[in-house]
Amino acid sequence: MDIFDEVKDSIDQFHQELSELDVEERAIEDFRIKYLGKNGIISNYFNKFGQIPNDKKKEFGKLMNSFKNEANQAIESLHQKLNEKQTKQEFFDYTLPGVKPVEGSIHPLSKTMDDIASIFQDMGFSTELGPEIETDYYNFQALNFPENHPARDAQDTFFVDDKVVLRTHTSPIQVRTMEKQKPPIRILAPGRTFRNEAIDASHYCTFHQIEGLYIDEDVTFSELKTTLYLFVKKYFGEDVALRFRPSFFPFTEPSAEVDISCFKCGGIGDDCSLCKGSGWLEILGCGMVDPNVFKSSGIDPEKYTGYAFGMGIERIAMLKYGIDDIRLLYGSDKRFLQQFKQL
Amino acid sequence: MIINTNWLKQYTDFDYSYEELGDRLTYLGLEADPVPNPLASIEKIVVGSVSNVREHPDADRLMVCDVFDGKKTRQVICGAPNVKDDIKVPLVLPGCQLPEGKVKKVKIRGVKSEGMIPAEDELGLSDDHSGIIILPDDAEIGQDFRKYYSERFGSNFEIDLTPNRPDCTSHIGVARDLNVLTENELKIPDTDFEEDGDEIEKYVEVNIHDPEACPRYATRIIKNVEVKESPQWLKDRLKSIGLRPINNIVDAANFVLMETGQPLHTFDYDRLNGEEINVRMSEDGEEVITLDGEKRELDDSVLLICDAQQPVAVAGIMGLENSEIIDSTTNLLLESAYFNPARIRYGSKYLGLQTDSSYRFERGVDPENVIYALNRLTNLIVDLANGQVCTGLIDNYPKKIEQPQPKVRFSRINKLIGQDFDPDWVVDKFEKLGCKILDKDKNSVKVESPSWRPDLVREIDYIEEVIRIYGMEKVKSSRTIKIQPDYSRNDRYNFNRVVRDKIASYGYQEVYNNSLFSHEEKDFNLFDLEPVKIKNPLSRDLAYMRTNLSSGLVTTAADNINRKNRDLRFFEIGKVHDLNFDKDNKADEYEHFAMLLTGNLEPVSWKYGQRRTGDFFDLKGDIQGLIQYLTGKEAQFVDSEMTKENYNQIVKIVIEDDILGYICQLNEELLDDQYNVEEQKVFVFEGSLEILYKHFTPEINYQPVASYPAIERDVSILVNTSTRVGDVMELIRNNGGKHLQEVQFYDLYQGENIQENKKSLTFNLIFQNPERTLKDQEIDQQMNIIFNQLKKKVDAKLR
Ligand SMILES: [Zn+2]
Repeated sequence: MDIFDEVKDSIDQFHQELSELDVEERAIEDFRIKYLGKNGIISNYFNKFGQIPNDKKKEFGKLMNSFKNEANQAIESLHQKLNEKQTKQEFFDYTLPGVKPVEGSIHPLSKTMDDIASIFQDMGFSTELGPEIETDYYNFQALNFPENHPARDAQDTFFVDDKVVLRTHTSPIQVRTMEKQKPPIRILAPGRTFRNEAIDASHYCTFHQIEGLYIDEDVTFSELKTTLYLFVKKYFGEDVALRFRPSFFPFTEPSAEVDISCFKCGGIGDDCSLCKGSGWLEILGCGMVDPNVFKSSGIDPEKYTGYAFGMGIERIAMLKYGIDDIRLLYGSDKRFLQQFKQL
Repeated sequence: MIINTNWLKQYTDFDYSYEELGDRLTYLGLEADPVPNPLASIEKIVVGSVSNVREHPDADRLMVCDVFDGKKTRQVICGAPNVKDDIKVPLVLPGCQLPEGKVKKVKIRGVKSEGMIPAEDELGLSDDHSGIIILPDDAEIGQDFRKYYSERFGSNFEIDLTPNRPDCTSHIGVARDLNVLTENELKIPDTDFEEDGDEIEKYVEVNIHDPEACPRYATRIIKNVEVKESPQWLKDRLKSIGLRPINNIVDAANFVLMETGQPLHTFDYDRLNGEEINVRMSEDGEEVITLDGEKRELDDSVLLICDAQQPVAVAGIMGLENSEIIDSTTNLLLESAYFNPARIRYGSKYLGLQTDSSYRFERGVDPENVIYALNRLTNLIVDLANGQVCTGLIDNYPKKIEQPQPKVRFSRINKLIGQDFDPDWVVDKFEKLGCKILDKDKNSVKVESPSWRPDLVREIDYIEEVIRIYGMEKVKSSRTIKIQPDYSRNDRYNFNRVVRDKIASYGYQEVYNNSLFSHEEKDFNLFDLEPVKIKNPLSRDLAYMRTNLSSGLVTTAADNINRKNRDLRFFEIGKVHDLNFDKDNKADEYEHFAMLLTGNLEPVSWKYGQRRTGDFFDLKGDIQGLIQYLTGKEAQFVDSEMTKENYNQIVKIVIEDDILGYICQLNEELLDDQYNVEEQKVFVFEGSLEILYKHFTPEINYQPVASYPAIERDVSILVNTSTRVGDVMELIRNNGGKHLQEVQFYDLYQGENIQENKKSLTFNLIFQNPERTLKDQEIDQQMNIIFNQLKKKVDAKLR
């Protein structure tokens, strides 16, 4: 075979191999050595230069140079491809921070109120609202707080005038609802309330309550217990224990306060800072609606019975989130609010 | 109120541990909080005896003494003035950890000391540092002092007494309630003394001028008493509940108060004028000086105890200086009375004075226990101060107080509690409570309430007793609860929740601010509401109900900026009030929502570099988005024609014909002057939630998606700089024909290559016909109409 044909075959072979070559360091090097190495194919042809007839030498030189140049360029471009491939793989820095959306936050008191309300809404309680500035009648008298009675002491009151107060609890909503609606009544009364107390780590002049009221023909204390068990277990967890102990509120009788087992110490007490060693945390007050309250809103206390319960949102939020100073909840610091981004 | 376990045991037997007793009381409705024993964590103190007290050779005021601790004698240095031979003392041994530090063996100026003799304050027992604690002679040497102390003083509970239970304001009262559980006998001390003086009528007569305010007043006179220090047992009793012993007469009265719950008063008989006691109402402007040295002016409704000339006590609240017991007192007049609770409470509130006495009277003492308490005190004074008791007593009780006699139906008990109770058990418990059973059949029982339980008036009060004694814990929980279907949806409460969630999703943080604020200071009152003033505010800064939410948000923002948190987006939902004398509650109430934006919108980013600073248009966009989301409507932003010092610009937001609210930029000078905020722009929105709710449209109306292609056209025009973009958009919309679907404004340019008083505006217009493909020709025609109008109305030139 003519040496020219041989070279042309080699060039075809070179193209064939190049098109099938993996862009891998090892493969490229082997390919380079095969064609451009000291004993490579191209070198070997150049070594045969002497055997070429003189009149063909020029033509052969031209062919071989173009082959060699092409091979060199191919290798160079392979290296470049390899480089690009490696860059793509190794320099993709997925650790760079993602571009996060700027998220707002819901205040812990809203969150607490909503979580509690949702549980009772699922039990068929609808929500009723009432004014923050109330008459003495709705805030006290209709709720069986006689004038000049020590029961009023428990509620340090802001007065607008002798007969108008900032509501000290959301209970006036109970009376307002009973006046406009006939039993059965099953409502929640959430809202802002006020007590004239000096501001410190555990007192603030503004706070929030949520109350429930259920009036029908056969409402019993026994059912009140079950309702509150259901609430406590759903809100604080299944393992939390509950206790009812007798107490006094003018608008309910019998009245009870409900404690839950301390979730910090598990009810052991000892040196626990949350429950002050008692093992119990007071969370709500409740009782059967006092007949006098029925009478003041025109409901027959012989025919109907009812229960009511109420709790302080600040207290529950502080227990739930471990907040030790009520003032953090008002006029808030961004760094405090930011912590309530989570669901 | 403090209840002491040792003291309690004087009147009843029980073998509960301290913790069990606390639980029992709590489950009875007498919430008993344990009072920590100050010695609980202190070890290594024993009872020792002191001998060989001698002066320290090298220190003036120090003494050296030998203290025998039961095993060995230790040398101890002591600086107290009352150290002497042959006394018994607590001896603190080296290694003992006291509140103030650890006691060690030391050498003081060359003399060694192997322990210390403490004063009460050093053990945390009181704040008394007047001298070392000296124990009674019968204290056993070598005994652990903690054990000795707790046996002598017992342990305490703090009872958080509800106002309906005046019967438990004493040790006998608590013992009596506990006995309903234990069924033990109540041990009430006998009274036994001789009346060996003259007839009492010779010395005093009692006139009650207002029998409604003072239904019962009783008195005894004791002559020739010796005022002196009380004996150890009495001092111990008072000290055990934290009362400071004063003298035998005052201590005896305090003791009987804490024992029986009946407040008693002792007068120095010789300091009274004339031979009469008058119980009467004060006169307007009358002045008295109470025992605490305060001069007090009265109105015409405070009940007074007076002698023949002048007041000698504010009835049921506090005695006056002019008749108090002094060291030279020899003849006593004792008072035991029943005053009307509301009357005493009025006086106590009027004077701003609550005492152990007023606390009990205003809740209602036992009117039938007045004489027992008087005799008990007389007995004690005779024993402690040797007097002669005048023969007889005066008991002015014009009209006996009748006790209520309710009928209690067994069926009603069962209906209310939801559990069946055995009628015999119920009746038995009522008897144990001290009720008289007047009548009983298979359906009901008629009882007369005990005189010490003013809270037992109605049937319902007895149903409460049933559950209290049976135990709330034991009442069975019902197996099911009833659920009443609630068909309401999208009520106000849930609407607020939706608004809150949406605003938070735009990057705003919800805050809660106080409803009380200082109206005078700053004026953010965009809705022009008249603030409601509080009559008895906590302070001048909190004297009004807020008229707006903006001032709170601005303060909150400023506080954060001053803490170097400059990038803020806050919102609040809350009530504001407007004074209205026509309303029963003197106010109109509105619910507002407010948003504040300042600083950068996002944190600095490696990807986008320079941060965007929020401004008016970001806040405007958030509000537009919110309104769109909740109402599906487009709000109008218009001139407010309003000027307020606090704001640079106020833009009114209108939905259809209703004013939703205002969006404004805060005056920068105000920020600097009042809030110390510089170089930062603050934007505020405040609006009415009621208006937003009015337009709330939760239903979505689906429109079929057009299947023919939309055609877009861009248009750039030159207009005068004073031309408003909103007006131009309005023109384009109004002249775009029925197929113009959307107009987007996307470029605003002023500067190079443009005339000085001109600006370039670029809009993107989208045309679409739902029924067919639009032809270019049609669009061109419509575009021409738009250009012509723009030329005519705003002198626009095409670019
Ligand atoms: Zn705990």
